[in-house]
Amino acid sequence: MSSYYEASARERLLGLLDEGSFQEILPPSARISSPHLRQLDTPAAFDDGIIVGKGLLDGKPVLAAAQEGGFMGGAVGEVHGAKLTGLLERALDEKPAAVLLLVESGGVRLHEANAGLIAVSEIMRAILAVRAAGIPVFVLDGGQFGCFGGMGIASRLCDAVVMSEEGRLGLSGPEVIETTMGVEEFDSRDRALVWRTLGGKHRYLLGEAAGIVPDAIAAFRDAAIGLLRQAQAPDLSLAAMQAEHRRLANRLERFGQCRDAIDIWRSLGIEEPAGLPLLEIPEFVARTQDRRA
Amino acid sequence: MRDWDTTTRNRDQRLARAAPLTRGKVVQADDATALLEAVLEPGDRVCLEGNNQKQADFLAKVLAGLDPAQVHDLHMVQSVLALPEHLDVFEKGIASKLDFSFSGPQAGRLAKLLAGGQLSIGAIHTYLELFGRYFTDLTPRIALVAAQAADAAGNLYTGPNTEDTPVIVEATCFKRGIVIAQVNELVDQVPRVDIPGGWVDFVIQSPKPHYIEPLFTRDPAQISEIQVLMAMMVIKGIYAEYEVNRLNHGIGFDTAAIELLLPTYAERLGLRGKICRHWALNPHPALIPAIEAGFVQSVHSFGSELGMEDYIRARPDVFFTGPDGSMRSNRALCQAAGHYACDLFIGSTLQIDLTGNSSTATLGRIAGFGGAPNMGADARGRRHASPTWLKAGREARDGSGLTPRGQKLVVQMVETFREHMQPAFVEKLDAWELAENAGMDLPPVMIYGEDVSHIVTEEGIANLLLCRGEEEREQAIRGVAGYTPVGLARDRRAVENLRDRGIIRRPEDLGIDKREATRDLLAARTVKDLVRASGGLYDPPKRFRNW
Repeated sequence: MSSYYEASARERLLGLLDEGSFQEILPPSARISSPHLRQLDTPAAFDDGIIVGKGLLDGKPVLAAAQEGGFMGGAVGEVHGAKLTGLLERALDEKPAAVLLLVESGGVRLHEANAGLIAVSEIMRAILAVRAAGIPVFVLDGGQFGCFGGMGIASRLCDAVVMSEEGRLGLSGPEVIETTMGVEEFDSRDRALVWRTLGGKHRYLLGEAAGIVPDAIAAFRDAAIGLLRQAQAPDLSLAAMQAEHRRLANRLERFGQCRDAIDIWRSLGIEEPAGLPLLEIPEFVARTQDRRA
Repeated sequence: MRDWDTTTRNRDQRLARAAPLTRGKVVQADDATALLEAVLEPGDRVCLEGNNQKQADFLAKVLAGLDPAQVHDLHMVQSVLALPEHLDVFEKGIASKLDFSFSGPQAGRLAKLLAGGQLSIGAIHTYLELFGRYFTDLTPRIALVAAQAADAAGNLYTGPNTEDTPVIVEATCFKRGIVIAQVNELVDQVPRVDIPGGWVDFVIQSPKPHYIEPLFTRDPAQISEIQVLMAMMVIKGIYAEYEVNRLNHGIGFDTAAIELLLPTYAERLGLRGKICRHWALNPHPALIPAIEAGFVQSVHSFGSELGMEDYIRARPDVFFTGPDGSMRSNRALCQAAGHYACDLFIGSTLQIDLTGNSSTATLGRIAGFGGAPNMGADARGRRHASPTWLKAGREARDGSGLTPRGQKLVVQMVETFREHMQPAFVEKLDAWELAENAGMDLPPVMIYGEDVSHIVTEEGIANLLLCRGEEEREQAIRGVAGYTPVGLARDRRAVENLRDRGIIRRPEDLGIDKREATRDLLAARTVKDLVRASGGLYDPPKRFRNW
């Protein structure tokens, strides 16, 4: 299966890393599953919906995690979160070339309430610790459930996000926005609207995704190798933070009145903005070159 | 001396009452209520155009808003009940009797209204039966139809969704009834004349364009690998062996999988130009890759499909298009083609019993039939031969001493378990209980077992043509019913015997490697792939996009 979007988390991870190099930590055979779901008499997964381990990418040692959208939409529960936090903390000891997060998550697993919320905050703290240690953390986002809630925030704490057009990245998901703000504000069944607002192309144009690739595991692999080769120590200084805040304030000022992503694309000076969603990725990248926010 | 022109004089009286509301044929939308009050009389037979896709929704609202003290006891004769207004007229006491074909979206409410005594049902028809009765004993007195555009003379342009309009207007007009059309726009000149102005009495520009439902779009992303496997079996075990070239596909992911395997799997088997050349089919987006690959020579359609307009316009060699370039569909004629001119019907269903009867009826819903029973029935009046028809007829009659004749292939394609682990194979159809509860004359069987030639499941193909006797037939059905209770109750030895005789065939008997049945075999795995295959001409509705 070449499609990243359709592949399972395990297929993605095996296809992404150098062939035969992946070693799973706490595999399904270890039977580490959620204690909360058991109490609720809800089906559990033997890996709690996340695969963690180590392997090689382009011959370099990396740690990697992949969330399985097929189990509870990749939602973060206590065990799920602990596996991810543990992997990140392991990076502090092992000093791999990078940590790769193959995200696919609706956010916190509501069944596990506070335990899930705490897990997400631990993930965020661990990401920042790994980055502070000079180890880059890269996010790959192209799964069917997108990346929302706590994992949406966590993704933006990392060094870089690579998306496919089919991937989505946001804080609140479309249904949540519609429920809280009304269908006039955001019609979650208007799939074209959902994707042009939250999908990879828009995130790439806004600068939230560093790269955009076609929906293929091989394309994500190439992009991850590219990031690995260019990786440099992040600038986490106060001045850099302030510059980032100024950039975001400018962005809000520049696009705050736009009603639709297409308005943003138009004001970025992109020709025929309404046609962007139909373009294949190489054509899209060429058309929008030097036009990103 | 008997009067021979009472209907004409009655018509003239109605038109005279409406005269103050109109100059020429055009009536303002604000006067629509007054127009209907002027022309309708209690007890009238009324056809409110409700199709599978196109809806005369403005006229439906106006009709449902009339005063039941003035207009009542109407007898509605329409093919599809799709909108709430189609039943509001009964709830409000404007109409009291119903003859129809299909009520999918309103099936639950229809059952409640019937149980509450708010309407009586004359009969539930297939499309062709109802259209036939328009020309015998159920001719509409008033027809309320929908079209894309009209000119001042009343000429109508229906656009690609012609659907039922010609048959309704023809029946009504030529029995001196009154035809009222709602149109999206009034124009100086229509792009082509689908309904001559002389057959239309009034046109009203509706405040909003009529609603069209994209009913035939199946997102390839939702096709499962089991469906891919079943589609491989159908192509290799039925289409190739019977050289099926004239066919109809039901709606559903099972048949969409077949359409998407033609450019890949069927191509590899060398079947291009040998199967699937002529179709009675709505313009399914899933057919685009097969058309582009050169499998498909012609497609005639019951209706159109939203988003396919530009693609159809660019492929006039394949589709039926007018001098203006846009498609013309026609439900009645396409149903006739599906019944008499096609060699194969294949579709899915919800329940199959031990004699092969199948039904989509579920308790508490009166969904009707639509067109499937006419497509999925051997056309016993057929005379012209084809290799497919002759081979099926030979298999069914070989050694019986009966007069030789051909037979249509009617294939039912189901996974042994459907949603929520409900078995698709049952000892007794729910249709029996539904018939009892709703006081129907007969259980609503969609496809009769005697017409079914093959049943395809993930376990294999059962060829019912080759079965001799009821017992063999039952074991053939049990033999592909998998782990359902019906399947588990099979006589293993009898089933093995049927397999030895080629009556039951497993994927491996057909030389199909199950491991090959992956989604990678689909010519398109997403709606976007369909757009790509169409060269950007297919413009899918928003709900089917993820870009």
